[in-house]
Amino acid sequence: MGNSFTQYMNGGIAMGHSSAGKCPGNRMTRFFAAALLLLAALIPTPSRSADITLSSKTYLLYYERDLPGSTTQNFAPVYEYLSADAAKLGGTSFSFHFYGWGRQDLRDETGSGKTTGELGSAYIQYLHPTGNGEMRLGRFFLTEGAAAEIMDGIFLKARTSVGLGVSIFGGVPVEATITSTEKGDSIYGGRVFYAKPGIAELGVSYLQEKGTFQGEDRKEIGGDLWLRPARMIELIGRATYNDATGAMAYQRYLVRLTPIARVDLSVGYEEYKYKDYFQTSLNPAFLPPSVDNNDKVQAVFAIVDWEVVNSVTLTLGAKNIKHDKESIGDATRGELGVKYSYNNRKDAAGLSAAVVSADRDENEYQEYRGYATYSPAKWRFALDALTHQYKQAINGTKNAYHVVGSAGYQLLELLQLSGDLTYTKSPRFDEDYAGLIRVSLFFGTGTGGKK
Amino acid sequence: MMRRARLGIVFGAVLLIALSAGCSAISQSPSVPPKHPEELAGWTRVDCLECHSDLSTGALKPYASFRHSTTFVRNHGLYSRQGQNLCQSCHGASFCQGCHARKEELKPSTRMGDRPDLALPHRGDYIVLHQLDGRMDPGSCFRCHGNKNDAKCRACHR
Repeated sequence: MGNSFTQYMNGGIAMGHSSAGKCPGNRMTRFFAAALLLLAALIPTPSRSADITLSSKTYLLYYERDLPGSTTQNFAPVYEYLSADAAKLGGTSFSFHFYGWGRQDLRDETGSGKTTGELGSAYIQYLHPTGNGEMRLGRFFLTEGAAAEIMDGIFLKARTSVGLGVSIFGGVPVEATITSTEKGDSIYGGRVFYAKPGIAELGVSYLQEKGTFQGEDRKEIGGDLWLRPARMIELIGRATYNDATGAMAYQRYLVRLTPIARVDLSVGYEEYKYKDYFQTSLNPAFLPPSVDNNDKVQAVFAIVDWEVVNSVTLTLGAKNIKHDKESIGDATRGELGVKYSYNNRKDAAGLSAAVVSADRDENEYQEYRGYATYSPAKWRFALDALTHQYKQAINGTKNAYHVVGSAGYQLLELLQLSGDLTYTKSPRFDEDYAGLIRVSLFFGTGTGGKK
Repeated sequence: MMRRARLGIVFGAVLLIALSAGCSAISQSPSVPPKHPEELAGWTRVDCLECHSDLSTGALKPYASFRHSTTFVRNHGLYSRQGQNLCQSCHGASFCQGCHARKEELKPSTRMGDRPDLALPHRGDYIVLHQLDGRMDPGSCFRCHGNKNDAKCRACHR
């Protein structure tokens, strides 16, 4: 499997679906990957100081599909997920991070082609010892102000002694596209922020992505806020103004209260307008005629976590969603759950229930779930059962059931073998069984950064 | 290619300026350590408050803010948009992309079928349920599926 995976990455045989092949970032991607791997290899890494982490997870799935008017199809895809981190390169604050996956179908094709894969990230990172100064170069996942992006590029961030800070980023967006983004060849932006330790952090950010987003570039101005006016109170929020449509696109605010250590209570508000929030979509599911572009959502939500006694946590939550358009109607979700951790927190068991009440029957359902794990010595067992009950039948079925049983064994300190058996009965499946074998290999020379 | 080259030059210049002139302006308060200095016990929930009672130096927030309660898990994006360093100290650089992927084919709950205790999205036959949740609150889908991770969407949403 390792050889096959290398072949995807080096040869570019199956870096994506056909649309991905049009992405202008692909050549950049291969260039970046090659350059970064070369750079990482060239940096001297004395074994006494390098901190290496390597994780390989291999999954073999097996399932069948009976399609009307067709013969039974058998699927047996093998997936390999590989991540590697090398910190303290040459005894410095530089590190290299890699993450990617590949698939090989052993039986019928599961997607477009029998092989595919993805280079998720490959970047050099510098972490300055003070001021949280940081630099990333390569392909990485970035969340910073208005940005939550995977990009091939550079990111710089630092904070000054007076609390003011700045971050900038720029490069080529990495997107799986349904619609064409052949013109989407650059993304850049930055954030200016002020942070007072333990009291506040406020940020203003900007993001621009060249592309064909409903005929416009993507231009977003973001604001983010974290305030702690008192020891037990946090105010946190984020807002995005769509500069292309000239309107506020998205807002989410939260008040979080922790009156005692065992209680975590939050109340929040969220609002977005389809026309302004989804203007940046590349997925037709969020665009007319799939959605009414004039609709707007306002949601109020609350959740409380209460550790009733040691290792037993009760969760209670509610969310009310209001639409401007009556064609969708409003809905309220209520949920209740309890979780018990045991065996030195290696294991947990839980029960939960959720009820969605809506103006329209087609949006109403109930959800019930129970799970438990048990880890004696080197063994690990898990059982998870989930059911949905729809008020209005979907494909003539009102109920769905999903049960996953899992058993695993730690063969070596670095190697764990486990397998899952899944049963599903739902509006899509009269009866479906699926199997999964999981081989997990982990090697690490340092601490932390493993979870 | 010319535009990329210009961008590269601009960012290269900014980098040089930042390195040569900016280093002295950087705060001298310690950054978040690249990796948590001790192994973290337990699998089911980490509680920073078991050991920490002060502020995280890099994130500049109290460790209590990062207690992985249901509130935190459901709003972790609000925190991460002010910085990812503290997350990376315990979780590893690729942790986010376990869910926030580009064209992921295996659901996290399938890959981690042995971890029912984790708050993973889309358990069960979610293709059915997404019709209801997506109709009611498409913004909750958009954050991940708006322009990424959409390979399976195209089967129906053309």
